[in-house]
This record gives sequence, structure tokens and C-alpha cells, in this order.
Amino acid sequence: MNEVDAILRIENLHVSVDGTPIIKGLSLTIHKGEIHVIMGRNGAGKSTLASVLMGHPAYEITEGSIYYMGQPLEDLAVFERARAGMFLSFQYPVVIPGVQVGTFLKKSVQSVRDEPIKGRAFRKELNEAMKTLDMDKSVLSRYVNDGFSGGEKKRLEVLQMLMLNPKLALLDETDSGLDIDALRIVAKGINQVAPHAGCLIITHYQRLLDHVKPTYVHVMIDGQILMTGGPDLALELEDKGYDWIDAVPEA
Amino acid sequence: MKYSKMELPSRANHLWRYTPWKRIHPSTVETIPNAVPFRWEIDDGGVLTDGMPRVMTDGDIARVFLSELGQTGVSLSTDGTLPVVHIRAVASGHVSVGHLHIDCDKDVTVILHLSGEAEWAGLHITGSVKNNVRVAIGFINELSANSKLLRCEDWTVQRDATIEMASLSIGGFRCKNDLRTRLMAAGGSLTQAISIHGHDQRHVDHHIEIHHDVGHTNSNLHIHAACNDESHSISTGLLTIAKAANQSDASQVFKNLLLSERSRAEAIPELEVLADEVSANHGAASSPVNLEQMHYLMSRGLGADEATALIIEGFMQDGFSALKSKALVDEMRTRLTVHLECELMR
Repeated sequence: MNEVDAILRIENLHVSVDGTPIIKGLSLTIHKGEIHVIMGRNGAGKSTLASVLMGHPAYEITEGSIYYMGQPLEDLAVFERARAGMFLSFQYPVVIPGVQVGTFLKKSVQSVRDEPIKGRAFRKELNEAMKTLDMDKSVLSRYVNDGFSGGEKKRLEVLQMLMLNPKLALLDETDSGLDIDALRIVAKGINQVAPHAGCLIITHYQRLLDHVKPTYVHVMIDGQILMTGGPDLALELEDKGYDWIDAVPEA
Repeated sequence: MKYSKMELPSRANHLWRYTPWKRIHPSTVETIPNAVPFRWEIDDGGVLTDGMPRVMTDGDIARVFLSELGQTGVSLSTDGTLPVVHIRAVASGHVSVGHLHIDCDKDVTVILHLSGEAEWAGLHITGSVKNNVRVAIGFINELSANSKLLRCEDWTVQRDATIEMASLSIGGFRCKNDLRTRLMAAGGSLTQAISIHGHDQRHVDHHIEIHHDVGHTNSNLHIHAACNDESHSISTGLLTIAKAANQSDASQVFKNLLLSERSRAEAIPELEVLADEVSANHGAASSPVNLEQMHYLMSRGLGADEATALIIEGFMQDGFSALKSKALVDEMRTRLTVHLECELMR
């Protein structure tokens, strides 16, 4: 597939936080319809990658380039990235006291689509998305992530993803803390978006991949991708851990 | 005691430290100016009866002043047919004053809207909640941007009675609020929620006194102040629990959201607990807009201004979260949303 057609192209990326290098020369290309999974130990830089892609101000790109739909990503402010079709499902979704989920979703969808949304059509779309994720309508009057269980937070992230229909979906440990039923439902949401988007899934567990079939599995260690393989690599990691990769020459 | 015989309160006094009497008095402190009475309007379902103001001065200069300033007042009675009774008080002229008394002997929700162009408005509300009655009282300060407000309230809560009070402070440029509630019998319960929007050079002072005279009484106070521009919010609380008031439960939470470098907010809870077996806690926090919240909202497509506006609205709406009366919460939130849509999009 042509590099020009890539949704996301990362070239030799170096990222620091408060002067400490976290990502040390990472390259990755994602095309439409591809699901890339990144696995790795805690502290490998996986969540840093997701955060820097979404423009979190705490992270500094010290070297390398990121292109989204062929455009330098650094040219886009955070909200412009969202409006251009990027979406991050947060590892730790933020509580926004006093802001009802329904209000937040409507404002968000309106901002990303850049057009007034019609109440009835919006409600219909929202109902369908909530039905897919087996969510109760009462969540709409609750405050964003306020008092939510871990599973409820992750479901709300996936609901937002369905409503925003991104071109690039970044999912940072969206499967963490989910029971088997919730995992299946969240996977259903991912599979609904995946055919029309590029997906980057950060996870510690192979079990999500029983429901979501990755195109590539990457192993990230110490800020670099050291190995790339197919779905079988996740099974191998589940079985053998990461130590054996440290000893293998760079992929 | 007559106003003319009273000593001016010292700034060393907790109550007058941040808004001295001379700054809230309508003219020179020796005088009692002529005052225009408020114009009162009420929805069907309630009746306002003219009468003398209730004298509940408690030796306090503001109450004595208001009592001498206005010689007439109104009392509310309701027939209980409407779930929510709206009262509109309009202040006009140079100095305007109103006294309102509410005797609650049946469940009711009352929303008082104070508006008008008066340069100075004085309001004294007195009320009592009778045994086993549930009452929700909302106050919305919608005075013009050039008005000063002096507002005093005195409430008593009887056995097994519940009062929920909500205040939305969005009008006037210098406002002194002195709100006192006395829980006089077992089972009495108060939840008080106040949301303040400071903008331009607004100076908003809330002094809240809650007195647990007997045991088995509950109180919750939540004050949320969002301060922008050069505004200044002061919230002082005085919570007393009498010696015999064991098994009382009281909490006070003050939160300030600082939106500009020149905005200021003080939060000063004060507790006097004489009983041994009580639960009493307080907390105060002031902070700027949370950057993680901003990033989260902006990652969902909201621009910086929209994200900030939503956080402010949420913060102020959250001030009413402790209230259980849906009718009261809905009324306050609706008015707040309308205000912020106008104010934040200026």
C-alpha cells in the first residue's frame, strides 16, 4: 500500500517529558482498515505515544515527524485533530463535574461534524449506538465519568468513538478492567468502527484479540518498536512474556 | 436598638472583614435614606399579603438597618396547587427595599427572582419551616450590573422538617449576603447550595451561619464560585453545634474556580463545636481550570473557549448537585444556562 495513502505515518519519533526521553525513535504507518496493536511492558512508552498523537501539552516531540492524512500533525491543535477525524479513547477518562453526558456528546458531535445536528436524528443515532454497547439511557443525565465504574468509563469512551466515527481511532488500554461481557461489547464497538478507519490499540492482554482481529501486533520496549508480527505474536507474548524479545536482534 | 445608636462594625469582626459596612451602605453610614419598596409579583397558586416586616434583627446592624429602611413587607401563603411558586421582586429607584416572610406549613418550592435597576437593593427574608414539612427555596440574583445588594435571611427549621436552599448569584456588582439558619428541633435538615459567577469587577460576599441548637440535626453547605476578570468572591461560614446537640451531622464544602490572574476568591469555613458526639467536616479548594479536563474536551473537538465555557458551566451546575428537589435544581440550572450562554459568549 502506498505511503501517501496512509492515515498515520510516524517517522523516527522521539518524545520527552520534562526532559526525560520516553519514545526513542519509533516509526509506524497505519492505513485505512488496518488494526495495529501495541503491546509492551509498563513504562515502555505506549500511552505516551497515544497522548502525543492527540497533542497532550505535557509531551515534547524532540525529533522525527508525524503525518496524519499526509499533513504534518504538529500543524493541528488538539481540537483540530479531533475535527479532522482523530479519536483517543483515554486510559483514564477525565471526570467533568456538572456536565451531563448527553450535553457533552451533543456538543462534541456538533463540533466534530461542524454542522448543526438535528435533535431527532441525533437521538436516533445515539440510541442505536447505546444499544450496540448495551448502555442504559440514564447515563445521559449523569455527569461525564463522575462516579462511573471503570467499565462504565470505558463504555462511554467507546460510545463517543461510535458517535464521532473517526478516521483514526487510538484506544489506550480500553480493555483494562473490563469483565468478559463488557469486553465483548467494547470489542463490538471497535469492530464497528475499524473497517472505515485506521485503529491503534494499546493493550496488555491478548484476550481482547479474541474478539478484535489485528492486522499487526507490535512489541514496544523502551520507547521503540522492537518486533512486529501477526495475531500469533500476541499469543506468543501471552505465553512467554517480553524477556525473550530483549535478546532478539531488532526487527 | 435603633440604627442611629449602633456602633459601626469593626473590620476585625469576621462578618465585616471583607465587605465593610460603609462599602455596602447605600450612602453615608450615618443616614437612613428614603427607600422605594420592591414591586412584588407572584404566580397563581400563591398569595402575597402586605404587612409589617418581621423584626428579627438579632442585634445585627444590617438587619436593624433593613428594618428601619422599609416599614412594610409581604408574607407568602400558598394553596399547594402549584409544584413551584415563582415570586418576582423588582427593585427600582436609587434605594429600594423589600421584606418577605414565608411560613411553611406545607410542602412547597418557591423561587424568588430579584431583578431591577435600583442602584441599591436591600432584602430581608425571614421564614420558618414547620414540623415534618419539606421546603425548597431558590433565590436568583438578577439585579442590573450596576446594583449593590444587601441581603439577609433568617430561617428556623422545626422537628423533622427539611429545607433545601439554592442561591444563584449572577447580578449586581457589589453584593453582601448574610444567610442564617437555625435547626431548632431533632430531625431538622438543611441543604444549602450556592453558585456564584464572578465577572468584570463583581464583589460577592456570602456569610453563611448554620446553628445546630439540638442533636439529630443535619446540614450540608456547598458553595461554588467561578471568578473571572477582576471579580472577587468571599465565602465565610459559621457552623455552630450546641453542647447538647449530639448526633448532629454537618459538612461545609467551598470550591473556587479562578479563571483569570486578577480574580480572587476567599473561602473561610469556621466551626464552633461544643458537643462531643458529632460529625462535622469542612473543606475548601481554589484552583484554575483543570488542564486535563481541557485536554479531554478539546480532544472531542471543542475549541479552547468552548471547553472553558463548558467547564465553568459544569462547575457551577455541580454546586446544586447536593440538592434533592428536582424542581428546584431544574429551575436553578435552567436560569444558569441562560445566563452563561449570554455571558460567556460575549
